[in-house]
Amino acid sequence: MAEPRHDKLFYYTLLPFASTSLAIVLLLASILAVNSLPAIERYGLSLLTRNVWSPVELDPEASDYGLLAPLLGTLVTATIATMASIPIAASLVYVSEEVLPARMLRVRSAISILVDVMAGMPTIVYGLWGALVLAPLLLNYVYQPLNKYFGFIPLFACSPYTGLNILTASLLLSIMITPFVFAVVRESYTQIPLSYREASLSLGTTKYEHFRIMLGIIKPSLIAGALLGFGRAASETVAVTLVVGNAFNLPYCLLSPGYTVSALIANQFNNAPLYPYMESVLLFSGAILLLLGLVSNLAGLIMLSRVKARV
Amino acid sequence: MARSDGTEVTVRNLRVYISGRPILKGINLRATPGSILAIMGPSGSGKSTLIRVINRLIDLNPSATVEGEVYIGGLNVLSADPYDVRRLTAMVFQEPNPFPHLSIFDNVAIGPKLHGLAKSRADLEEIVRWALEKSQLWEEVKDRLADYPHQLSGGQRQRLSLARALALKPKVLLLDEPTANIDPVSTRKIEESLREIARDLMTTVIIVTHTPQQAARIADYIAVLYNGELVEYGPAREVILYPKNEFTKKILEGVI
Repeated sequence: MAEPRHDKLFYYTLLPFASTSLAIVLLLASILAVNSLPAIERYGLSLLTRNVWSPVELDPEASDYGLLAPLLGTLVTATIATMASIPIAASLVYVSEEVLPARMLRVRSAISILVDVMAGMPTIVYGLWGALVLAPLLLNYVYQPLNKYFGFIPLFACSPYTGLNILTASLLLSIMITPFVFAVVRESYTQIPLSYREASLSLGTTKYEHFRIMLGIIKPSLIAGALLGFGRAASETVAVTLVVGNAFNLPYCLLSPGYTVSALIANQFNNAPLYPYMESVLLFSGAILLLLGLVSNLAGLIMLSRVKARV
Repeated sequence: MARSDGTEVTVRNLRVYISGRPILKGINLRATPGSILAIMGPSGSGKSTLIRVINRLIDLNPSATVEGEVYIGGLNVLSADPYDVRRLTAMVFQEPNPFPHLSIFDNVAIGPKLHGLAKSRADLEEIVRWALEKSQLWEEVKDRLADYPHQLSGGQRQRLSLARALALKPKVLLLDEPTANIDPVSTRKIEESLREIARDLMTTVIIVTHTPQQAARIADYIAVLYNGELVEYGPAREVILYPKNEFTKKILEGVI
């Protein structure tokens, strides 16, 4: 059937706007790729496998770079943050959807609004709170006892001289991404058809058993929320820069200062033009971050479409 | 295998309002262990609401208000913990609703697992097989118990929902038009199974049905609802052969 002429006009008018976001991503990716080439040509795969940050001003031959510490730092902080945020988000959904009776709609809405506000808060606020409040608290009441009593575990073996370290960055990130994970899980949870809820309750389930069955139904959305949260945690910059410690340590011990890719870019990019290859190395790390974000977000969206097909 | 030892369901002067509108207007009836009570009536007459009061699923509707008395044996349904009420009952719904994330086996096994009915894996397998046989599904799925509900037809999914409920061996079995989506041959077999379950396990069976033929085939008692009122209630044979109420006659004739 032929499309009406005015619909075609509408379609062609909107097409450029609709394609803009895709074009921006492609442009971004190509700029990062092209500008990464000098670093790739010079250092090759060793950029990913070595932990070196030795810029020498005006002497290209003497400069040496390897991104292993920030890359691993990014993966470790984002993974811990994601793993910590899932039980927090699931508990929030449990409280708001199952513990509070249906008649307490206002309290349920208040929880949602509060979490939305958390999602919208400027990340610098989280960063400052993390550096000035969270880090000292964790240092005194968590890290020191952790090191004292569980120091035999390599992850807690290093002495915590400062609260600014990989674990603080991970925990702060978990607080920051919880609203996003919560939003994804809660949306799927509230969309579970009444017939499944009735079926579960009719079996004589306790609230906890009922919640477990319901979570099972939306399991792909839990994974989706985790993947989307991971993408967000991996790319978070300002707050992490303030609390991660910014040191090129491999994250064998969570209580030592570390680095993440985004923190590295934020800290070094201003100086980069002064050093040969540094700019290209930073853009390469940006490309890796973009790739990580794209993969985790795409996987998350695919999982979400699976849960929609299921319920 | 026996778990149900029979429990009478008594409903006295039951009134249900949803958003202030009366849905059930002073219902009185009894369903006895080992018998099948069929609830008939046109759409919107309050049949589904009635059985949702018996297992307290009505609580899911925040705008519902319930007055009167409902007892399962000695348990006061309306003042008891819904969890205690639902541990005595099981329900099959109009639309098939097996859990999509569980395999066929696990869908049937979930109730016995939650209720601690099986002492061993062998026990559990026996219960699952029994429930699937009674639901007329065993022969079709015995070699594919690890499959998921989306791999079954609509009718098979409904029989799986029935098996999930039967596996609990409930004292009170509530069925809301359970055979609406099932072919006539399976329907007849399921009706036979329901009779067996009522008789052998002394289960109190309450079934909502639209079809007078089904009520005639399986019910010991029939209750007819019309516009929220109980217009006729009595032994099935009496209600079918000598209906006293005009609405009952019309329902039996299939006019409404």
